[in-house]
Amino acid sequence: MTPRKPLLDALVATLTPTDVLISCLGANARYLPHMTVPCPVFALCDSMGAAIPLALGVALQRPDRHVVALEGDGSLLMSPNVLATVAAAAPPNLTVLLWVNGRYESSGGQALPPVAVDWPGLARAAGLRHVATVGDPAALREALAAARRAGSPAAIVVEIAFDPREAIPPYSERPDEIRARFKI
Amino acid sequence: MTGVEQIVSGLEAAGVTLVASVPDTWIGRLMEGVRRSPRLRAVDVAREEEAVAVACGANLAGGRGAVLIQNAGLLNCGGVLAGLVELYRLPCFFIVSLRGDHRDPVYYHAPKGRVTEETLRAWRLPHAHADRRGDLAGQVKQGVEFCVESRGPFVLLISGEDLA
Repeated sequence: MTPRKPLLDALVATLTPTDVLISCLGANARYLPHMTVPCPVFALCDSMGAAIPLALGVALQRPDRHVVALEGDGSLLMSPNVLATVAAAAPPNLTVLLWVNGRYESSGGQALPPVAVDWPGLARAAGLRHVATVGDPAALREALAAARRAGSPAAIVVEIAFDPREAIPPYSERPDEIRARFKI
Repeated sequence: MTGVEQIVSGLEAAGVTLVASVPDTWIGRLMEGVRRSPRLRAVDVAREEEAVAVACGANLAGGRGAVLIQNAGLLNCGGVLAGLVELYRLPCFFIVSLRGDHRDPVYYHAPKGRVTEETLRAWRLPHAHADRRGDLAGQVKQGVEFCVESRGPFVLLISGEDLA
C-alpha cells in the first residue's frame, strides 16, 4: 500500500489555478502549507466532518471552479450523511477524495471502530454515481481526470498505508491566515 | 405580506445567495418561500452541522449563506460553531425555529425550549427574537449584515406565529 505523501504529491500536481482545494484536519492539512499548490487552499485544523459540506458550499457558489475536498475515513464515519447531501445537490464541479487508513491519525493513530467499511459502496448507496478506488499515484491521476469529466459529483477512495513513524509537520498556519489568504 | 414573504424579502435584500436547511414544520413552510425566490438557492442537507459548513463555504466563495434549522438542530451544532465558524471567524446567519416555548402547543418540544436560549448565551451566540409586529424583513437583513461585519454568527429565533 502506498504512503500518503506520494499520493498527496500526485494530487497537487494535477491541480490548476482555477481549482479550489478544501482539506480536512490532520496530516493533509499539515503538509499542504509546505507544498507548492497552484490553487486556493482552505485547510481545517478542527471540526471533523466539515470539509465536504464546506467544499459543497464553495462548489455551489462558484460553478466555474472545480472544487476538490479531502476527507479522512474517521471524519466521514461520523458524518456519512453528507454523501447523500452531495448527491442531492449534484454539483458537477465537486470531487471528494476520501483518504482511508483506518486510523484517527491526527490524534495519535488510534484505530477506527474495527469493521471493514465498504467506502465505495457507501458512496454509491448514498446516491453518488461516479465512484472510484485508487491505491497508487498513477491511478489517482487517472481517477482525478475522469472525475473532472464526470458531469456529476465524484468520490475517489484513496487507500493509503498507515505509518506511525511518519514525520508529519505540525500545523504551521493560523486560522486567520488561512481565511485571509483564501481568495477566489 | 406574510411573515414568510417578509423573511424571504429580508434574505434577498441582504444579498443572501444560498440557504442550507433541515426542515421542521415551521422551517419547512419558510423553505417553501425560499424555493419560490429566483435569487436564493435552496440546499437541502441531511444534518444541521452540514448546513453550517455549506453556508460558510458559500461565504468563503464570495456569496452569502444562511442556515434555516430547528433549535434541536442548533443544539447539534456546538462543535462546528466552535471549530469552524468561531475559529476561522466566518459569517454565519441562522434562522432557528424556537420550538418548545410558551407559544408552542406540541408537548415534546418543551425540553428543547427550556435550554435553547441558555445554550445560546453559554455559547456566546448573538441572537434575537423575531418580532412579527415590527419590520421582520429589516430584522433579517440586519442579522445578515451583523454576521458580515462581525465575522461571526447571528441567530434569529422565530416562532410559528412569525410566519403567518
